[in-house]
Amino acid sequence: MKTFKIGVLLIIILCLPFSVAFAARIEISAPGEQTIPLAMTRLLPMGVGAAQPAIATEFQQVLLGDLDLSGLFDMVDPAAFLGDADKLGLRRNDIDFNQWRMLGSEALIKGGYRVTAGKVTIELRLFDVITQRLLTGRRYVGKLTDVRKIAHTFADQILKSLTGEKGPFASKIAYISKRTGYKELYLMDVDGHHPIQMTNHRSIVLNPDFSPTRKELIFTSYSKGNPDLFRKEIYTGRESRLSLKPGLNIGGRYSPDGREIALTLSKDKNSEIYLLGTDGTIHRRLTNHYSIDVDPSWSPKGNKIAFVSDRRGNPNIFIVDIHSLDVTRLTFEGKYNATPAWSPKGDKIAYSRMDNGVFNVFTIREDGTDERQLTFGKGSKEHPRWSPDGRFLIYSNDLGGEKSIWIMRADGTGGRKISARGGNDSHPAWSDRW
Amino acid sequence: MESSRKQRWQQLQSVFEPGFKQMLLISVLLHLLVPILYYTPLFPKHKIEKPPVYRVNLVNKIVKNPQAGRPEAAPVKQKPVVKPKPKPEPKPAVKPKPVPIPPKPKPVPVKPKPEPKPIPPKPKPEPKPEPVKPKPEPVKPKPEPVKPKPEPKPAPKPAPVKKKPQPKPAVTKAQESALEARLKKMRAAQKQKAREQARKDKLAALRAAAIAESSNIESPTTDAPVGMMDGKGDQAGVSAVAFVQEFIQKQWSFSKYQAAGSPEAEVKLFYNAHGTLLHYKFLKKSGNSVFDESLIRAITKSRQLSQPLPESMEFHIIFNLKDMLDKS
Repeated sequence: MKTFKIGVLLIIILCLPFSVAFAARIEISAPGEQTIPLAMTRLLPMGVGAAQPAIATEFQQVLLGDLDLSGLFDMVDPAAFLGDADKLGLRRNDIDFNQWRMLGSEALIKGGYRVTAGKVTIELRLFDVITQRLLTGRRYVGKLTDVRKIAHTFADQILKSLTGEKGPFASKIAYISKRTGYKELYLMDVDGHHPIQMTNHRSIVLNPDFSPTRKELIFTSYSKGNPDLFRKEIYTGRESRLSLKPGLNIGGRYSPDGREIALTLSKDKNSEIYLLGTDGTIHRRLTNHYSIDVDPSWSPKGNKIAFVSDRRGNPNIFIVDIHSLDVTRLTFEGKYNATPAWSPKGDKIAYSRMDNGVFNVFTIREDGTDERQLTFGKGSKEHPRWSPDGRFLIYSNDLGGEKSIWIMRADGTGGRKISARGGNDSHPAWSDRW
Repeated sequence: MESSRKQRWQQLQSVFEPGFKQMLLISVLLHLLVPILYYTPLFPKHKIEKPPVYRVNLVNKIVKNPQAGRPEAAPVKQKPVVKPKPKPEPKPAVKPKPVPIPPKPKPVPVKPKPEPKPIPPKPKPEPKPEPVKPKPEPVKPKPEPVKPKPEPKPAPKPAPVKKKPQPKPAVTKAQESALEARLKKMRAAQKQKAREQARKDKLAALRAAAIAESSNIESPTTDAPVGMMDGKGDQAGVSAVAFVQEFIQKQWSFSKYQAAGSPEAEVKLFYNAHGTLLHYKFLKKSGNSVFDESLIRAITKSRQLSQPLPESMEFHIIFNLKDMLDKS
């Protein structure tokens, strides 16, 4: 019996720690703050060069615009800044992090500029206020006209260090504008600045797309009487016709590896999707149906293409596998679904749907689930295209009677107009990282 | 026959009994082993069920045995003190005052408009100095007439009339000192009053702010007693677990635009009874460095809780984005 009692006692003792030393378990399933409080100080003049506040102002305005669009940040009001904001300490030890922490900020941007011999040097730092670490730092040297570009580039860098993925702000947007009275191809910054006219065809230019590998654009132009596919090198300005089959040569889109172009040809009296080599030769015919097949868009893996077809009556989005040529239907809702754009992450396909005479932008997964409407209200929103990182969408919007280019986050928030008035701008396309 | 049966039974018993007891012991041991084994990693457990989501009012005290109630309820007593308005109004009127009244620079920080009569608000700085200054003036002239009196008096009236000179200077001196004393007292009283009023006002403003803040937490049941929904104790307050959960969640900022996949990390935190973090350790990293860094920031910000804990405690906190990503 003694052994029995001892055994029982032993077991009770063994069991005790499980009941007593049990740490409290907590699950926190969402952050308390869904934005990062960020303080951004004004650029301060460094060294002997004369102060040029215009540089600091322009820089701040561009960077703020980008950071605001990202939706990541909650900017600390500069009116609350304390003494440290006026000090040009760019090293960790020079910064009074407690001041910034008192303001509730978790990240801090500091910087300085110097102008010498027509060149501007901008030094920038991003600090983690809480752990008091330098997250990223850059020194940019450029012409005085490069301040905007420097700001965009640093915005990309900030996103990289706070999200792990670079931003798309230093890239370009191509679009069609009727500023001159003709529909011509233009190029602009992501915030709508620096519009540059790329073509002077005095005809109709449509559907631009960037090459993923070269600084090159393809587009369709009626300048030779027929809607032909053109190629244009951006820096040299050299231009050539890539596909001039009789009938339509429209909606050209580079494959993700840049080796092929998907486009719509109507050389056999019916519009079908084809694959073209970069030399203009036909590689493959992807669709074969008596209905209209247009607007191809590559999946990022390069094995499937989404396109629009009215083979079931109304225009809807379909997906064709370029190897097996199997066609599956993607959209079932709505009576008019058009202009698909496959996200660079591959998870979603954006398109525009017409309801009651107004187009709105929607997204849907490749398997046809999770269909979401991103835009609402007045104005037809058409031709959505993704930013190279999949964070943003651009589209044309005819709110106010005139088409213009708009940008928004991929979840439909933060929509804003970026192109200037008076252009009747449409057909945007976002370049890869520049 | 019987004897042989008995013999056999005894034989059996002698064979079985010692072994039987052992077997019984082993059996009990084995049975008890089951719950022990259950807690070993051999039996993977399902993830803990999500606790009910409640917002804890961080003003509430942390207690060991919270009563039944609502963790987001505001402390009840402070409610009747409703002086939320004096704070914003008096402030602008405060600063211009120091100029006009030289003898009363100290009471200046007086914030309230209504009570301290001597110091009117901004618009009437001039009338004040007049009533104030005349008082000190009559005081000074008195000592002058007083002094000459005692000098001439002893000369003409030698001894007998001691009563007169005494009362006179006594009266004047007494008057003087009394006046001075009264003035001093009044001034002191005024100063004190003003100071007290200022302090009271500050307090009231702070309380009002605290109340306003606590009432910001949207809850249909702020009238409920402070406690936990599952509280079984008798103390008004919230549980340490709920408090720490709310506190750390508040410090954690992470944007849905930073999210990639559904990261989850588990951190062990050890707080002492003062609410100071002694050490923490990642039991499981999420593999997403951006996510993990945001947790380090949150933990760094939570190094000191705003209230002490009933005892030193260890917490295992699982951080994930389930609730945030669901909404998007």
